[in-house]
Amino acid sequence: MSGRHAEQHIHTVEGTDPHIFVEIHEPAAGTDAGLRPILLLHGFSSSSKLNWGDTGWITALQAAGRRVITVDLPGHGRSASPEDLDSYSPSRIRADLLQIVADAGARPLRDGDPSSGLDIIGYSLGSRLAWEFGATQPELVHRLVLGGPNKEDPLASFDLAAAQHYLADGMPIEDESTAGLLKMAQLLPSNDLFALLSLIEAIKGEPYDPAEAVPHMPMLLVAGDKDERAVTMPELASIASHAGGMVEQLLVPGRNHSNAITSRVFKDAALAFLGV
Amino acid sequence: MSESTTATLETATRNEATTKTQSTRLSMQQALNRALDEILSADPRTVVFGEDCGQLGGVFRITDGLQAKHGESRVFDTPLAESGILGMSVGLAMAGFHPIPEVQFDGFAYPAINQIVCQIARMNYRSRGKLPMPITLRVPSFGGIRAPEHHGESLEALFAHVPGLKVVSPSDPHDAYHLLKYAASRPDPVIFMEPKSRYWQKGDVDTSDGGTLTGARIVRPGRHLTLVAWGAMVARCMQVAELAAEDGIDVEVLDLRWLKPIDAQALATSVGKTRRAVVVHEAPLTSGLGAEVAQLITQSCFDTLKAPVERVTGFDVPYPSGDLEDEYIPNIDRILLGIQRVLEYRRG
Amino acid sequence: MAEISFPLPDLGEGLIEATVLDWLVSPGDHVERNQPLVELETSKSALELPSPQAGKVIRIHGAPGDTINVGEPLVVFEVPDNTAGIVGTVPKDDVPKRRVRLSAVLDED
Repeated sequence: MSGRHAEQHIHTVEGTDPHIFVEIHEPAAGTDAGLRPILLLHGFSSSSKLNWGDTGWITALQAAGRRVITVDLPGHGRSASPEDLDSYSPSRIRADLLQIVADAGARPLRDGDPSSGLDIIGYSLGSRLAWEFGATQPELVHRLVLGGPNKEDPLASFDLAAAQHYLADGMPIEDESTAGLLKMAQLLPSNDLFALLSLIEAIKGEPYDPAEAVPHMPMLLVAGDKDERAVTMPELASIASHAGGMVEQLLVPGRNHSNAITSRVFKDAALAFLGV
Repeated sequence: MSESTTATLETATRNEATTKTQSTRLSMQQALNRALDEILSADPRTVVFGEDCGQLGGVFRITDGLQAKHGESRVFDTPLAESGILGMSVGLAMAGFHPIPEVQFDGFAYPAINQIVCQIARMNYRSRGKLPMPITLRVPSFGGIRAPEHHGESLEALFAHVPGLKVVSPSDPHDAYHLLKYAASRPDPVIFMEPKSRYWQKGDVDTSDGGTLTGARIVRPGRHLTLVAWGAMVARCMQVAELAAEDGIDVEVLDLRWLKPIDAQALATSVGKTRRAVVVHEAPLTSGLGAEVAQLITQSCFDTLKAPVERVTGFDVPYPSGDLEDEYIPNIDRILLGIQRVLEYRRG
Repeated sequence: MAEISFPLPDLGEGLIEATVLDWLVSPGDHVERNQPLVELETSKSALELPSPQAGKVIRIHGAPGDTINVGEPLVVFEVPDNTAGIVGTVPKDDVPKRRVRLSAVLDED
């Protein structure tokens, strides 16, 4: 495991170091499957530890012989909370991710070399980033698993002004989605709320449009059948399949947006889908 | 030397004085657990506590089931803070309770040294007898279970050096049962060092008769040489005595049991007879309790000793990790070599 | 054989309870240390609880949807009587092999 994405020399993108916390998890002893690394992208107001560590994903992937790269998004987990808004923009995050996976040893896909390329598993906001990353890096990304995915980013309709009013003087928030997201963010004492609001502001500047850039690699879409934040998953699937990609969908019975993540059904499906 | 042979020998020695026995076969864990249960039942002022002692029943199961039986106010968990565990013991003792705290592992007694040395050991003296400290501090001690750092140390010399403390270490289930009950009945603080590598070995426990509980005990009589040991080293010395017998050397094994005060009379009697002595302990050599034992023997047996008292001990290094502990703890060959050095010694 | 009960541990962040999502083991299963035992959901996150020890599962507490308080029994293991504690291993009490032989002329004076 390593800390920051470069221990010896820092490869900055656009001149500044966003201090993103990166860990590399090697395959369990004696199990190396010889396959490409898997990048895990967590959701809004979560972290690599909460989204992938505590839920058993990292150990499950390691046990299957996979090398895993985890990153904490800016303002989340053990990553820094930069002052500048630009560090939170999805395009900047994607650029930083590209540098991080290159530093971690991911190499462009080569025919007949199963260790080349990169697989990505995202959840929620992480699925949006994975979609866009896959669309813009077709020569690198081998397959995508998108959990709790949505055609529209719920963060784009977040009422920033209302949230700021609420945080400043307790004025109630009218918009239900905004109130819910803020409550979720406030639940975790480790969250830097103002950094999360910066992330939302940056996302509003670059709203999610999945049809604008569509990934062509095979993808697996997974959501709980009670996930209200992923009701548009079939539309996302049809966008990808119309563009010519191979798309599989999986509904996890009885699960919602916050508890589908630990599901064995989800993990087993992802492992099988990425195990090629 | 098998466990059953040991037990038979001991039982035989003990039964000489009694005609009626209530012997039960127990591991040292079970014997200590039973003793604590009986102490709690007999004395309402007794409280048992420590890290994981309550709900979990102790990491070595010594307090297993006691919270359910005696209640959460008498058997309870403490925070991970040894200074707090022993500091609370001081206050409880002042208030008239009989605390039996546990420090989960030997090496975790260090954070509580201030409370043990500067409060518990001195309070009776400081208060001119108004505030006795009837505290029995249980410390799973010594090595032998392949544990990490701080889980295999021998602190007897450290505690024995402190005026006001008594130190005892049982070597088998029978002694563990009776010595714990005896220690808990005393008005003075006792450091009760449990040999953790012996927790699982079973032996016959005669609950009706503890015999003499204050001094040392001859575990195996012999004519040519006395092996002095305590805690887990007693069983190893019994193995060595059997091997020595194959070579025609009749070894007496003396289990010191009490490390403060040391039974100087038992040492004088045994070595006065055998005229040769080897002390065995896991603790490092320098300023270890072996030096004290050697001096006591020399004092009483100087004129008749055939050789200087030998010490076979751990080394003057921090206790090693589990993989290396067989190289550190005195093994049978090192003890046999110590015996050979004594046998070979010639004056002049 | 002895039983060891494993209560719902403190999950941090001031959480006092968790809801069972799904059991990953059944009574009768032998589990290894760190093997996933159960999926739980708290008010803050969902998580997978690894087994604190190896052993045979003999009882599990709480069906999917049930809420369990921190400190209440979650799973009971059956372990051999001579199982070590949380730290270390039970030493073998086998007869040692000697390399040293004693030789001495004992003058019985």
